[in-house]
Amino acid sequence: MASLGQQGGEDSDDGMDEFMEKFKTQKYKNAFNESSWEEEFDKIPMFMKNAPEEVDPATHPELACIQSIIHDDDRTPEEKAQSLKDEGNEFFKEKNYKRAILSYSEGLKRNCADADLNAILYTNRAAAHFHLGNMRSALNDAVSAKKLKPNHLKALLRGAQCCLELRNYGDVLQWCDEGLHAHPTDKKLQELRNTANKKKREAERDARKAKLKEKQQRGEKEALLAAIKERGVKLVRTTKPTRQGSDSEDEDGDEGRVTAGMADMGLDGLVSQEATGARVFLDDSGALNWPVLFLYPEHCQTDFISAFCETSNFLDHLAVMFGEELPPWDTDRKYLPQNLQVFFEEFRGEQLHQVDVSAPLSTILQHSRYTVKDGSPCFIILVAGSSYSKQFLSGKKVYWLK
Amino acid sequence: MLNDSEAKELLTFLTLEMRADVKSQATEYILGLTASRDGCRYLRTKTDFLKALLTLTADKSVAIVKDCYHALINLSADETLHQALVKEADILPTILRSLLDPEYMLSDRICTILTNLSRHEKTCKELFQVLQEQDIGLAKIVEIFCTEGYNKAASLHYLGPLLSNLTQLPETRQFILDKDRCVVQRLLPYTQYEESVVRRGGVVGTLRNCCFDYVYHEWLLSDAVDILPFLLLPLAGPEELSEEENEGLPVDLQYLPEDKRREEDPDIRKMLIETLLLLTATKRGRQILKNKNVYPIMREFHKWEKDPHVIAACEKLVQVLIGDEPEGGMENLMEVDIPEDVQQKLKDLDAKEQEQLEKEQQELLKAEADNDRPKSQPSEELQR
Repeated sequence: MASLGQQGGEDSDDGMDEFMEKFKTQKYKNAFNESSWEEEFDKIPMFMKNAPEEVDPATHPELACIQSIIHDDDRTPEEKAQSLKDEGNEFFKEKNYKRAILSYSEGLKRNCADADLNAILYTNRAAAHFHLGNMRSALNDAVSAKKLKPNHLKALLRGAQCCLELRNYGDVLQWCDEGLHAHPTDKKLQELRNTANKKKREAERDARKAKLKEKQQRGEKEALLAAIKERGVKLVRTTKPTRQGSDSEDEDGDEGRVTAGMADMGLDGLVSQEATGARVFLDDSGALNWPVLFLYPEHCQTDFISAFCETSNFLDHLAVMFGEELPPWDTDRKYLPQNLQVFFEEFRGEQLHQVDVSAPLSTILQHSRYTVKDGSPCFIILVAGSSYSKQFLSGKKVYWLK
Repeated sequence: MLNDSEAKELLTFLTLEMRADVKSQATEYILGLTASRDGCRYLRTKTDFLKALLTLTADKSVAIVKDCYHALINLSADETLHQALVKEADILPTILRSLLDPEYMLSDRICTILTNLSRHEKTCKELFQVLQEQDIGLAKIVEIFCTEGYNKAASLHYLGPLLSNLTQLPETRQFILDKDRCVVQRLLPYTQYEESVVRRGGVVGTLRNCCFDYVYHEWLLSDAVDILPFLLLPLAGPEELSEEENEGLPVDLQYLPEDKRREEDPDIRKMLIETLLLLTATKRGRQILKNKNVYPIMREFHKWEKDPHVIAACEKLVQVLIGDEPEGGMENLMEVDIPEDVQQKLKDLDAKEQEQLEKEQQELLKAEADNDRPKSQPSEELQR
């Protein structure tokens, strides 16, 4: 500072003017750099907006100085723990939960004798964990806090909240009841208790509903297997069943073994090879409806009937399928219903049996040499007397209808 | 009975310092007196004996202590003894302190005494006062009652009927129905407490008495308390209801499993239905019960129930559930003014109905004489 003139009046004004003139020409020492003054500002502890992650004494000497004052080893454990708690709280406010946890942990490591302070450290750390989604850690900390201070409301609330997130509704009720013992009118505890109670009962209802549904489905499956067995239809499985739908069919397979007595069969054997997952079922009138495959080897084509009722016959279906329009692959236009012959192949060996198209499906499936493969009966369709038919059937043992 | 000098001598035997065998015989004698009504009445004027009994409950010999409690139980069952026990012998502070002790082995006997004492309003009021004076309060009683395993040696089931008796007093009802606390909510699960019919009955009795205060009905039926499922579950059976009916029920009553059993005790069943009936007093209450599909539950219940008294109660409830709304001005059934002559007619009808029900019950009991089914005894300790 320039010394002011001893004279008053115009002289001091002159001194001031002189002083001000200097600024125009001389730069003052330790000035901020015009272009990087903001960065430099940020380095001064007083003006810092955020604390740096790591405090390096080289780059932030002042900050390191202040830190060492805070964490001075000459202070008592209680004081250190207290300031670590405060530090943690600051981080918590900034939502920097990870740093908060570190501070609180450091505070606890001080092992100070103040149980209240430690309880608060645990409770606050529990809150930080909670906000990070670490429910188990949060719960453990709440338990620790409760041990130190059994009626600490915040710890009790936090513990209850953790259990709620973890869906241990019974535990929520326990925490709440413990809390309400000491704080009978606390609204938050009452609300938590109410919520947990509701959720618990809803979960119980859902379990009952699922059990009932499972029982019903089992009943239906048992009835189905019984119907098939009653008719004497043989089943065989050649491929591993693909898991389809939500019901676990492998498990049913085990039960099916017990109920239907079909060796290692059960419903596994009923899963159709087709990706549609169509399955035999019992309709309202008690008739079995099968998913049936028609094979047309001449043109390498197939047709799939998802529900062929056992009381209907092939003629019915063929009339519909080939009655109005012939399929596009039938280039020779010869697949007329009256010309078609239907055969099934035995499971073992290449023996073919001609099928009576006017007989109901049930009769055919009961044929002594017939076995339903992978839950889906399939049949071969040829045009009677065609050259392909002759070729196809030559070399095979064919059982014709009389 | 003893003459004055014999009584004086006997009293000297009833001290802690006395020889064991003498003490023991003396207490046995007193116990014998309490077994008869005349004996009890005799002791009514002998306050010193009552005080001695109380003192001897602290005796080292468990047999003597048990006899003393047994005697006190008998005495407390007689209403004329209540003033002597409570005012003159002042037994309450001592036995209440023991009740609070989680290690005290004979707490169950204390509960029985308290239940007996609280049966009639006068002594009940005094008991309530002592609870306040001793800084124990209802909160502690409820707390002990709801804490599983509070006392390893005593089941404390008789706190149930005690609570029920205490709800004669409006102060008790106010405490249990306090919206700012969580009291009634803690009692609700016990309507299904399988291990003890006494505890169950006590809680149901408590709830029923509380429902006389219709200002609380809407709150009781709301989510904050949700009393309805706890009243209906003991009455619901394993019958499968349609999906539609299920979805309309409160959550706890949906999809009940096939091994669901109904409440075995017909008195409790009747009390549950009476409580439900009380909840239909207001228009809002009726609406809620109708909307929550209470009717299908009672329909199935009616098919299953055999006891004529309970059936009658059930029919009354069903009547309200499926009947029309009462006309304007009569929506709150508890506030309707019934003219004198109609009141008399109703009284007569009630009396006739009771007669009829008694007859039917006798016939039912005769028919069941060979069955295993347990017959219900009207419990001495349950509140009217």
